[in-house]
Amino acid sequence: MGPKAAELRREIRELVKSEVPEGFLGAFTDDPADLETAQRFCRTLAERNMLCLSWPEEFGGGGASVWEQTVVREEMWAHHEPRGAQYMGVNWVGPIIMRHGTEEQQNKHLPPIARGEVIWCQGFSEPESGSDLASLRTTARPDGDGWLISGQKIWTSYATMAQWCFLLARTHKGEKKQQGLTIFLVPMDDPAIQVRPIRAMLGPHHLNEVFFDDLRVSRADVLGEVDNGWSIVGEVTSFERVGIARYARCERLLAAAPSVLADRWEDLPAELRGRWVRMLTHCRRARLLAYRVVSLQSSGRIQPGDAAGYRIAVTKLDQDSAEVLMEIAAEVTPEDPGAEWFLGEVEDHWRYSQASTVSSGSIEMQRILLSRALLAVSK
Amino acid sequence: MSEMVLDLSEDAQEYGRQALRAFEAAGGDQLVQDAEAKPAIRDSLVGPVLNELGAWELDARTDVDGLEAAAALCRSAGYWALPYPVAERLAKPTDLESDGLIVVASNRPAGAVGGVETRWTAVTSGGTRSTVVGHGATGPAFVTPLELSEIDKNGAGDVALALALPCWTLLGMLDRAIELTIAHVSLRKQFGQPLSTFQGVQFQLTDAEVERSGLEILAKYALWSIGSDKPEAIVDALALRMSAIEAAEVVFRVCHQLHGAVGFCDETTLSWLSRYSQPLRRLPLGLSATRDELTRRAGRSGLTGLYA
Repeated sequence: MGPKAAELRREIRELVKSEVPEGFLGAFTDDPADLETAQRFCRTLAERNMLCLSWPEEFGGGGASVWEQTVVREEMWAHHEPRGAQYMGVNWVGPIIMRHGTEEQQNKHLPPIARGEVIWCQGFSEPESGSDLASLRTTARPDGDGWLISGQKIWTSYATMAQWCFLLARTHKGEKKQQGLTIFLVPMDDPAIQVRPIRAMLGPHHLNEVFFDDLRVSRADVLGEVDNGWSIVGEVTSFERVGIARYARCERLLAAAPSVLADRWEDLPAELRGRWVRMLTHCRRARLLAYRVVSLQSSGRIQPGDAAGYRIAVTKLDQDSAEVLMEIAAEVTPEDPGAEWFLGEVEDHWRYSQASTVSSGSIEMQRILLSRALLAVSK
Repeated sequence: MSEMVLDLSEDAQEYGRQALRAFEAAGGDQLVQDAEAKPAIRDSLVGPVLNELGAWELDARTDVDGLEAAAALCRSAGYWALPYPVAERLAKPTDLESDGLIVVASNRPAGAVGGVETRWTAVTSGGTRSTVVGHGATGPAFVTPLELSEIDKNGAGDVALALALPCWTLLGMLDRAIELTIAHVSLRKQFGQPLSTFQGVQFQLTDAEVERSGLEILAKYALWSIGSDKPEAIVDALALRMSAIEAAEVVFRVCHQLHGAVGFCDETTLSWLSRYSQPLRRLPLGLSATRDELTRRAGRSGLTGLYA
């Protein structure tokens, strides 16, 4: 990764240590202080010009290399994503607006993201449209020189705290369901939008339902071309596929386990220690597969199957390592060094990992993409 | 220390492709069948093509280019289930008069070297080196028990490479098994359509491919660790070996299942690959013993990574 990336990793770890309280389990707990920690951390990163490190310099970013971006992803996820919901704005909302937004949209949306002031949510999934996203029913019907949007989104992360929504809606019934979809950038404080939280095992303030009741939008709110939103959705999902370095949190927790158990580590069943080292091997495997995807992406040689294979490996690692960690955690007593931190982290990791093969493109969708790529070779 | 590169060098890859073509020209899939009929002719069957490829001029121990070329050669040998202990020959120690190195379990030393008479050295994972002074009858897949005469205990540094190169051979076998299976499910029709159109078939293929590609990248990592003389190279090689055996279990299970009955027939290459993968997976240590050894060596520090 090079010396610059290593220096950045050291810098981020120091910053996390000084700015994020031990035991921080993400911004979506019942304790409002956690959300404030995340918001403050984003502002601190922004002040140091580190929040949008990966953005091109022309948009106020740090012009970081893909490997520096990888370090940021790893360290943030390993430390329970102290950027909270804002990682989404930085990771893909901003970059997509850079590619497809008008100058006006760029001026309006990019600076607040870069300053660490704004939270975005993604209005994609609907009650009847999960993996089959293009079948969505939320409709924008023409009204005057704009549209009125009605419909329902679900599983919308961060909707209660978001100021903006990256919304996908149907503007036209095309020949194919992928045609006639449009992306709108809409403010969440509009009274035509209602958010209903869904308490869930991933975290009490994570998932939501969002209802749109004749939300008025104009041409200025459209990202890219009307009716051609699907091509942008493809770009969003490809950003998302490597967006979260799940292996980094798995590895951090696995690496911490022996020091928590101290002298009793060797007393664990040998079979459990064997599973532990196997998980560490799978962390290495997932990390190197991620690096291959990053490398292929940056050289423009990426094929759809490449990221899918990595995603299958990393999401399974997330769940498999969570099971092993829970078993190790059961051996930890409250007196052990760092017990409270470790038990909290592991329990949270286990809950959150249940969604890893479902969210951002289910493992079945990844298998479809990978098998298509494999079978295309023989055609 | 050099940065790890995720792929073999272009030169090594090209050498691997040359080797694939050369093995095909020398008989391809027929080689292992001929050698099984007469293990004593293994050397004369495959020796010439390996000589032509300059296999024994590769220096896998002290030259990084040689190391990568050796790995590529092993992979190509695995692709054709080449009936010759290429990895063992390439892993030979530099400080002994020896033509090849076999890692053995101390309680039941054996190697897939039946019929290949040359100056073999054996080493245990603990580093005890011996001269192979005799061997028993040749069993399935050329495996033969070895008689050893101890030389010294200086072989600890020799083990990692001698564990890693056979994993590259096994990787080549998995490459081929998946390739054959993709071709089979694309052609074979049931219920009026190719097997490849059934999602139950497609998803099994992805299980195999995720294991294969994961093994590929761990194999490269271990090679880099060995080439950089890292003190934990043996742990990295054991982690690779564990993953290689696990990957082989998944891949061969899927490939046999998707081939159906034809996959067991001697006229089908999968049948040969599957059988000849066995020594690579069981010797010197099977999956459980490899994981035990890895767990013991990794201790509480685990594997080198982001947080250790």
